[in-house]
Amino acid sequence: MSDHSHDHHAPHGPVTRVGETADETLEHAEHAHEGDHGHGGVGKYLLVFAALCGLTTMSFLTYSSFWPWRDEPQVGWAFMMAVSCTKAMLVVLFFMHVLWEANWKYVLTIPAAMMAVFLAIMLIPDIGLRNRMVAQERALHMARQSDVRLLEQAGESKLLSDQAH
Amino acid sequence: MNASAISVPHDHDHHGHGDDHGHHGHVTLQYQPGLPLSKGKLIMWLFLSTEIMFFAALLGSYVVLRFGAAVWPKPHHVHLSEPIGAFNTFVLICSSVTIVLALEAARANKASLAKTWMVLTLVLGTLFLGVKAYEYQAKFSHGIYPWSPRSRVFEKPDLYYGSAVRARLGEPAMIDRLKELDDTPEDKLTADEISGRRRLQQIRQMVTSPDQQPFDLAVVADQVMPLPAEGADAHGGHGPHGLNDTFPWLKLPAVIPGGTMWASTYFLLTGFHAIHVIVGLIVFAILLLYKLGPKRAGMIENAGLYWHFVDLVWIFLFPLLYLF
Repeated sequence: MSDHSHDHHAPHGPVTRVGETADETLEHAEHAHEGDHGHGGVGKYLLVFAALCGLTTMSFLTYSSFWPWRDEPQVGWAFMMAVSCTKAMLVVLFFMHVLWEANWKYVLTIPAAMMAVFLAIMLIPDIGLRNRMVAQERALHMARQSDVRLLEQAGESKLLSDQAH
Repeated sequence: MNASAISVPHDHDHHGHGDDHGHHGHVTLQYQPGLPLSKGKLIMWLFLSTEIMFFAALLGSYVVLRFGAAVWPKPHHVHLSEPIGAFNTFVLICSSVTIVLALEAARANKASLAKTWMVLTLVLGTLFLGVKAYEYQAKFSHGIYPWSPRSRVFEKPDLYYGSAVRARLGEPAMIDRLKELDDTPEDKLTADEISGRRRLQQIRQMVTSPDQQPFDLAVVADQVMPLPAEGADAHGGHGPHGLNDTFPWLKLPAVIPGGTMWASTYFLLTGFHAIHVIVGLIVFAILLLYKLGPKRAGMIENAGLYWHFVDLVWIFLFPLLYLF
């Protein structure tokens, strides 16, 4: 093995050597994994685990009194999604070993990710905006913000509970 | 260099050093089938890429439904508990670590250690499902079901709601039960039940009253199952008690604005996720039948890839469902 192949981030996959079948090459690659390469390591996994736990706790930061954007929930949502994406990246890169995989990883993940994004965008006109223009029938039955206020007023009115407590 | 043809240097020393440098000398092309990874792993990744799209469609529709809705219930309106959700997140993260450690142990030829980690993963996955079942039970006990004849959730306190309450109170078994409650002497009831009984009697008058006002039905809904006010901590049951909580047999229809669509999306998303967890557990149970040495490392790796994906989905589901 040349020192080049010791590089952890070698961009190419296992190369078929002349006179070897692909399967044999794969076995070589497997041996390289368990042998001197040892990319994983329990310590690294535990570090990622600690980071994941820390990030999960960070999602609750938006609930704490330190959070300055309590009146703008969108900021909190963006923050929580950023935290989730970071956690997802940690899981994919380390636990799913994608960080150490060869370039084939892009072939499989990038098209799927693009399709996923397109899918979500394509849902917006039909489903996301379906309440902009609704039939009278549905407008009659669907809940509105005014209904929430009505219920809150009913809760505050204490019409019945004054005798109760 | 992942195409079906791989270039190798035209070296006389076939097995010598440096034969994976492809950028000097002549090259010969040699046929290599598919991507440079084992068949099982390739298929698992292909499957996972379809799964990415599957959950992207579900999560995407949830997001557009949620933000396109006129009203969406707050987590505490629908009896969601953030700490329980966070605990389940923690459980899944732990199980992701244990399965990865099982793989490491199997590669290091420590079969019994690998088996221990695998059993732990199985236990953690089962714990996740148990907590999930407990959460589902909490929804069901509040009449929140994903389908309509069983669900007791109404979108708003309108005439339909009033007639549903009337219909429930008019059921023969209910009439007997209410009569029994009315006849119970006060010293056999708790203070909560006495006040609940008084309010229930008023509600029964309100829903049948001929000069009923629209606001009356909102009061009825508030008495049956109040919406906790913003900031009120209703998770542990410290919030205002509804009649449905005081008398569990009452099972009156309740009003949660936006609650029906919420229930549909919540049960669909968490249900599909739970099915994936169950499949993962079955795979782990099958793997436990084998000796988990280096020969099985590929199988463990593929099962692990699947399991990490299940974890990945939950990482997005948790904030979207519990914290938004």
